Amino acid sequence: MATAASFAINPRVATVGDFFALLKPRVMSLVIFTGLAGIVVAPGSINPIVAFVALLCVAVGAGASGALNMAYDSDIDALMTRTATRPVPMGRIARGDALGFGWTLAVGSVTVMGLFVNLAAAALLAFSIAFYVGIYTLWLKRRTTQNIVIGGLAGALPPAIGWAAVTGGLTIAPLVLVLITFLWTPPHFWALALYRSEDYARARVPMLPVVKGKAETRRQILLYALVLFPAGLLPGAIGLAGPLYMAAAALFGGWLVWEAISVARETDAEHEPAARRLFGVSILYLFVLFAALIVERLMGLAPLGHAAFGAWM
Amino acid sequence: MNDDDDQRARFERARRMRNLALALVLGGLVVLFFVMTIVRLKGHAFDFGQ
Repeated sequence: MATAASFAINPRVATVGDFFALLKPRVMSLVIFTGLAGIVVAPGSINPIVAFVALLCVAVGAGASGALNMAYDSDIDALMTRTATRPVPMGRIARGDALGFGWTLAVGSVTVMGLFVNLAAAALLAFSIAFYVGIYTLWLKRRTTQNIVIGGLAGALPPAIGWAAVTGGLTIAPLVLVLITFLWTPPHFWALALYRSEDYARARVPMLPVVKGKAETRRQILLYALVLFPAGLLPGAIGLAGPLYMAAAALFGGWLVWEAISVARETDAEHEPAARRLFGVSILYLFVLFAALIVERLMGLAPLGHAAFGAWM
Repeated sequence: MNDDDDQRARFERARRMRNLALALVLGGLVVLFFVMTIVRLKGHAFDFGQ
């Protein structure tokens, strides 16, 4: 019960919006989108309601990971400008409440996926949550410059989860989509880290620019962008995607490499305009590639021509 | 209205909204479980005597 004393202890009040913010809705939207791509491009059919539940579980599982990350990293978040206004460091939600919220959603999303979709998708979802929380948040983030590289696997898995929801298993095709997102993560996050390096240094998070310096980070961003470009074309090479996707991957992949070159040649280390551009272009790149995959399949332009939403029930 | 009353009003409004959101989520789960049970059973529920 609320008493006058409780207001004195914690005058900040948790709203529904605060709990929603714990789910990292922007990250969640990208995860839903790549998960949808996995469902749409997978061969075979799936009941649209089952597909909806699979996507819901992926979204809630990703949200759970975000909530747990915000709970376990609240000490770091409080020291960084970008994250200091999050509900836990602001004191609007207690760390324990965020943990309870996160673990409830994590267990719930995996359970529903297992009961109503299939065990393969549930196992992959459980693995991605455990990897993000256990391997990335609790272990790697505070210990190594490779934190977001290895931890990126968790965020890269949704296309495979979507694929498994339809087929009950995995093949090389969804793993190629996982590879693209996996290789995309370092240039995306290191671009952010370049113009937020003071934040990370203050919080003692060993991001690449903090530990190895900005010059090495620029070099690594360019290397990953150069590897990502051909990886982005792989879906066409293995017969998963057609000309629309290939054109998008070539065009936007080229743009991403161009921006990575700009970052490598950046002279304004204070404002990092090239890194800010690369961050935006990287989001656009991933969105366009997966949108092309979805559009191509739904329009029947993809080479395999699987009817992902065909004969259901 | 003093600061404490204002705080209390905000606290109670936030609590009402949280309870409403929780009710909607729980109601949504009931509907979801019902629909999914029907969908999952559909292929086998009417197989009596086969």
